[in-house]
Amino acid sequence: MTTLGGVALYVVFALSVYAVGASVVAGRRRDRKLARSAANAVLAAFAGALVAVAALEYALVTHDFSIAVVAEHTSRQLPFQYLLTALWASQPGSLLLWLTVLSGASALVMVQNRRRNRELMPWVTAVLGGVMIFFSTMAAFVSSPFQKLAGAVPANGFGLDPSLQNPYMAAHPPTLYLGYVSMAVPFAFAMASLVTGRSDARWLVSVRRWTLVSWTALGVGMLLGAHWAYVEIGWGGYWAWDPVESAALMPWLAATAFLHSVMVQEKKGMLKVWNMVLVSAAFSLSLFGTFLTRSGVVTSVHSFVQSAVGPFLLGFLALVIAFATGMILWRLSSLRADHKLESVISREATFLFNNLLFLALLFAVLWGVVFPILSEWVRGVRSTVSTPYYDFFLVIFGLPLLFLTGVGPLIAWRKASASSLLRTFRWPAMSAAAASVLLWLAGLGSSPAGLTALSLCVFVTVTIGLEFVRGTAARRALSGDPWPRAFVQLVSRNRRRYGGYVVHLAIVLLVVGITASSAYATVSERHLALGQSMRIDGYTVTNEGPVQTKEQNSITDRVRLAVSRGGTADGELDPGIRLFTDTNDQRQSNEVDIRTSWTTGTDLYAILQGIDQNGRGVTVKLLVNPAVSLIWLAGIVFLFGALVTVWPDPREARMLARRYAGALTREA
Amino acid sequence: MSTALAALAAAVLTIAAVVFVAWPFVSAEREPAEPELSETDRRRLAAAERRDESYQALRDLEQDFRTGKVTADDHRLERDRLRAEAGAALRELDHLDSLSQQNGSEED
Repeated sequence: MTTLGGVALYVVFALSVYAVGASVVAGRRRDRKLARSAANAVLAAFAGALVAVAALEYALVTHDFSIAVVAEHTSRQLPFQYLLTALWASQPGSLLLWLTVLSGASALVMVQNRRRNRELMPWVTAVLGGVMIFFSTMAAFVSSPFQKLAGAVPANGFGLDPSLQNPYMAAHPPTLYLGYVSMAVPFAFAMASLVTGRSDARWLVSVRRWTLVSWTALGVGMLLGAHWAYVEIGWGGYWAWDPVESAALMPWLAATAFLHSVMVQEKKGMLKVWNMVLVSAAFSLSLFGTFLTRSGVVTSVHSFVQSAVGPFLLGFLALVIAFATGMILWRLSSLRADHKLESVISREATFLFNNLLFLALLFAVLWGVVFPILSEWVRGVRSTVSTPYYDFFLVIFGLPLLFLTGVGPLIAWRKASASSLLRTFRWPAMSAAAASVLLWLAGLGSSPAGLTALSLCVFVTVTIGLEFVRGTAARRALSGDPWPRAFVQLVSRNRRRYGGYVVHLAIVLLVVGITASSAYATVSERHLALGQSMRIDGYTVTNEGPVQTKEQNSITDRVRLAVSRGGTADGELDPGIRLFTDTNDQRQSNEVDIRTSWTTGTDLYAILQGIDQNGRGVTVKLLVNPAVSLIWLAGIVFLFGALVTVWPDPREARMLARRYAGALTREA
Repeated sequence: MSTALAALAAAVLTIAAVVFVAWPFVSAEREPAEPELSETDRRRLAAAERRDESYQALRDLEQDFRTGKVTADDHRLERDRLRAEAGAALRELDHLDSLSQQNGSEED
């Protein structure tokens, strides 16, 4: 199977080279057959990548320890599901996954556009093929997943990293990769539009939809990763500003800015250069994130050891930035704005301000990521940028962004008058003011930033609620439909707008969850002898003795903790320390236990810090994380809102088809 | 899987890829070269885009007015401006159509 997998990667490389060459010639000569042949090469490359994945999976599940990645990342005792997910536990395996998702997304673009965007598609194929050449070169020649193990074949493998033995590992990396990789598609469309000089609405629709897909996948991937960190890493938090977490956040921020500013381009013909820059930045930042993870330049729970891939990735990133910059400069004159900003109190101005804030936050995060690397290069000493740095910028840029999330929907396009502003903002502003007083009276004034964030969340929620109510009422007045039907009609006819509002609601839930669980959390750590109790935030937790469980490849020492609240039993917690018997160095992992209150969304989170020699006394760390469940609920609402937004709008497709047919049928 | 079988599978994969890539050249499906967009076509597309943008902006304006974001005075002024923009785009489309017809009759 290694032969087949290796050959499949060479075939993918050759097909990618052909796709680029053929599509460039097809684009220049307007040769449809050659363009279709190039598109077929992309489809075949995807099939080749799938064959390589199948070959590696076969090697993993059959314990072929002659292959380095199988020997180094699995064992005979590893449960079957983790044998499958071990594909992306290694550097070469995750590069293969990158290549497979990239070729899959590219193949989908070829199928979607078989009869559309004919002028653009050869150039889209060329750009996507160029990215595929790079990643197939990495997978086939630099860091092959089918590399044989040096020396004798061992009887058993070295085992999988304990932190990767979690069900979230099945979904988190592929989702995040889909987000990273599919950013190549809007980039390819943007570059194709620059090559052809076509900057009309049709390419913008393709770019917008694919950016939404990438942005959704990145958002969901980050939340899956946060939940994995929360339940697996065992420090009680979900986001540690790890450089690799930040690396995923940066393209998401750039894409979020783009998804707002693209509306200004669609409605007003403004910000064309800015949007090109944002699309290019989002893809470049995706590559930068890949560089951070693959190169080993940063210390992270996610990153792989120092490898040969890093310099290649850095070189490719520089090439992409130079190419995008050159293309934008070349077509600068054709990207002039059709209109000018007429008033700073308008929706387009709000989007412009939110873009500036997103970019400011992005640069703050970027500086936090690169500063340790630069300090090591320049001074030879690695300085670290810790949580307070990020928290500071999150507050000074995040709070105004949250404010604009509420302001944007209520301001009219072009220009808003003072009287209409007063009328539309009356209820949201009064609600936010009332909420801040109530929250302060409830004792939440200990964190001014937290109090402000929660009050702004009320402001945003009321604006969104008003938008739905006023919109439905207007629809009802026009059609005479009953309320539920008018509501459904309103949303289905304006999916982008109202899907976007649902995403804004998800952001509100996220902010409430993050604010409450970080600004108002309670922590306590104590030694508990057998039968001894400790109290935290109204909970009483009692050590009821040790328990040992055996799993397929591990032994877990747990402590049973009885939980009560107000004198009433409230279940139990069983945190433990897990010893992996199949790893060479007998690695351990924390097995935290969490008790969630479904009424308040609050978690009682238990970490077993240590067990006494006699096995009966334990040191336990407990955290009460208020409203943390809202973060995970935000993920579900975010996904729902994103799906409403990204769902194809047949009316938009019909309108574009009519417009193009009307313009082009007369040319013959 | 034996090495020979794997090599055979690899050969089949390679041949299948070559056939699939070459298929557009040997298939009977007719694929004429795409015509170059003329300057008039591009202008017509741009005018149609401006017309549709104006229509969309009018729809947005009506929605903003009905939900209380725009005053009656602002609504009237903006509606007249957008109607004028849509009218200008429609006139340009008519002009381009008549140009195309003239060129067509001259060629005849």
